[in-house]
Amino acid sequence: MSTPTAKDMQRLIAGELSLRSRIAYTALLLLTLGAAGAIGSLWLTEPSLPLRTHLAFAVLVGINLSWVSYATWVLTRRRVLLAGHRIIAGRMAVTFSAVFVAGAAIVGIWGPGGSAAFAAAGFGLVMLAVAIALLIHARKNFARLLERRRVLEVQLQEASR
Amino acid sequence: MHTETERQALEDALLVTRCQLGEAAAFDALIERWHQPLWRYARHATGNDDAAAETVQDVWLRVLRGIVRLRDSERFRAWLFGIARRVVMDRLRAAYADRTVDADLATLPEPQSVEPDYDLDMLHEELAQLPVIEREVLVLFYLEELSLQELSDVLAIPAGTVKSRLFRARQLLRRQLTNKGVIR
Repeated sequence: MSTPTAKDMQRLIAGELSLRSRIAYTALLLLTLGAAGAIGSLWLTEPSLPLRTHLAFAVLVGINLSWVSYATWVLTRRRVLLAGHRIIAGRMAVTFSAVFVAGAAIVGIWGPGGSAAFAAAGFGLVMLAVAIALLIHARKNFARLLERRRVLEVQLQEASR
Repeated sequence: MHTETERQALEDALLVTRCQLGEAAAFDALIERWHQPLWRYARHATGNDDAAAETVQDVWLRVLRGIVRLRDSERFRAWLFGIARRVVMDRLRAAYADRTVDADLATLPEPQSVEPDYDLDMLHEELAQLPVIEREVLVLFYLEELSLQELSDVLAIPAGTVKSRLFRARQLLRRQLTNKGVIR
């Protein structure tokens, strides 16, 4: 391996900072969490299922939760979300959860879903509440960092005089 | 009135804050600023170019992944070298069984100043022959100019232990130089 230059390291970090991959993992997290909620709702509200069907539901929920864990691990340990990314991820989560709740409610009211759809809508409401809380926290954190940047810029100007 | 060190800490803090916001240009500036000191440390600590290159790469990845959790951004320098040290130690741990320094401190002579015109390259070579614990404390203190408090943070030991480790490292280096007849 040749001696790495600052340019090599800048290229390495630029690749790691990819917004597209963060959006992809956030989408994976939301979709698999939504799928786990929908399948889980169906599973819990279906009366008198045979053992084989219980197992099938459990496997499906388990697979989706595994993907949720993987995406969470990537977003907290590998493709870490910086303050700006967190706002984008928060907006995605709020939008997805709102659409999920609306979809489940429509199926519950007008479709054949019945109690499973309402249970899914309830799960979606919890997701929506968490998403809103995360988005508010992300915006506050972003504003705090902006203020910190402003203060540091003033201090540096004074230090340079 | 700010000292040069305080001004540099402020510049680091500003870059760190911009990185935490997600500005790619701030990461470029941070790397531009700290790549060489980091490389120097890694080269001294590992003793060869390949290991140093892997170390530096690993350190920058850990910086990217951990920078959101850095609360006190003015302490960036100590935080950065703390990461570098952990990476080096992880590598050493993986490569060798634990090796301890067995220096007979009681027989070491009193410290004297190193000749100021001593060839720097030769000094680097002599540093490379010291045990890793002593080498890193000398490199961080004299070459990277970390303060005792920063060294205490980086090495995760009390300031008093930093002083005694520095003392021992200086003695070892002096003994090495004396044995080779470079100094008397």
